[in-house]
Formats: sequence, C-alpha cells, structure tokens
Amino acid sequence: MIKYSVKGTLLLALFSLTGCASLSIEPWVKPYERQNLADSIMSASRHPIANMHVAHVLDGREAARGAESTEGGGCGCN
Amino acid sequence: MLLIKFWRRGLSAVFALVMSMNAHGVTIGQPAPDFTLKNMQGQNLNLTEQRGNIIVINFWASWCGPCRKEMPVLQALEDKYKDLGVQVWGINVEQENQAGRDFLANLELSFSIFFDETNKLSATYQVEAMPTTVIVDRDGIVRYVYRGFKDGYGKKYAKAIKKLIRE
Repeated sequence: MIKYSVKGTLLLALFSLTGCASLSIEPWVKPYERQNLADSIMSASRHPIANMHVAHVLDGREAARGAESTEGGGCGCN
Repeated sequence: MLLIKFWRRGLSAVFALVMSMNAHGVTIGQPAPDFTLKNMQGQNLNLTEQRGNIIVINFWASWCGPCRKEMPVLQALEDKYKDLGVQVWGINVEQENQAGRDFLANLELSFSIFFDETNKLSATYQVEAMPTTVIVDRDGIVRYVYRGFKDGYGKKYAKAIKKLIRE
C-alpha cells in the first residue's frame, strides 16, 4: 500500500516537474511578451531582398533545395 | 501502524506541496489579485474599490488579432450593461504601446484602458493566452476566466455577466 502511494506521489511529482508551466525554465516568452518575437533582432537575416535572391540561386543550383517560397512551377528549370 | 500514519501524513504533505506549486495566480472562486492603474482618461482605478460592480478584465495587445476583433464586442458589453454595474477594463500588455495607442485612435471606445508596460499585472494574473478575459463578481471574486477569443465568445461573456447581475 505504502509502496504504491510512494510510487504514485513520485510519479505525480515528476509530472509536475516536467509538464507544468509553473515550474518552467526561465527565460520563457510569456504570451503577453510576444511583442519581443516580432522584434527585428529576432529575424535570421536583416536583408529580405538579398535573402530571397540567395534562396532563388540555391534553388536553381541544389537539387536538395526548393519549395522555399521562391516562385516556379516545379519543372526544375527555374 | 504508527509508521504508516506518519508515512501517509508525509505523503499528503508532499502531495499538497506539489499541488500548491501548480496553483495559478487567478483561481476561480478566489479573490482577484488587487491592483491600481491609471486609465487612459487619467483616472486612477483600484480593483478592490470596485466592490459592488462586476468587472470584466481583458488583457489585450495590438499585435494580437483576436484581441483586435474583441474590442468592439467588449465595447458593446460595456454599453449594454454599464447601467447595471458592469465595467470593462482593457489592459494592454505591450511593453512599447504606441502601436496599441494608434489602434485605439481608430476605435471609439469608452471603457477604461490601462497600460501594463512592466507586465507585472500580466504576471500576477498569469496570462496564459492572448487575449485573457477574467470576470470578477460584485464581491471581488474571480468567477470566470476565458482564454483566447473566438466568434461567439461575446455571447458567452454576456451570459456570464447576466448570471452575475442576477445574483
């Protein structure tokens, strides 16, 4: 009986430690802080046009790439 | 026998501790955390001073689409139930709220808008979704918490408010 309840409690503690937000690891962007995610510093590249060009070039050169929002009909010729 | 008793007590203590760790800032049936903020009209408002009124606290931001949709709904609720002692408090959670102010400029809202730039209030209320709407009854008790906003939530709010008015 005790054994089971010990196990149950430990399991519960484990669940509580792993799954629940109240013991979450900081820093964690709270729902009301999502403004920070839209900050330009969060983007991987600050030059969208140059970035699109590079994507397009790599699209044409590498078979493993593609379907990355650059235009083309899928003929492999773009 | 005695050992078992102690064990149980210990276990229940652990259980209680674990449960309390998971407790949320805003619990239905518990008093709403008190706060004082200056509204956009320049008036300082305190939550406990509003005992006797039903307060609909809504956490919103201009970058949050559903929140933007919700504002006219909240205004309609305020207009309809204001005379029956219902107030809508819109709490902007943005750290830099110019976008929020610009958004408000295009709307004609009469209910109180607050700016929680430090996010202290949002943290106290443990806002887990945007928008979050908390309805506080006449005794200052949290009665309803709504996370998110979808079409038809206005009706839900109205139903809740009507229930609280009848009490």
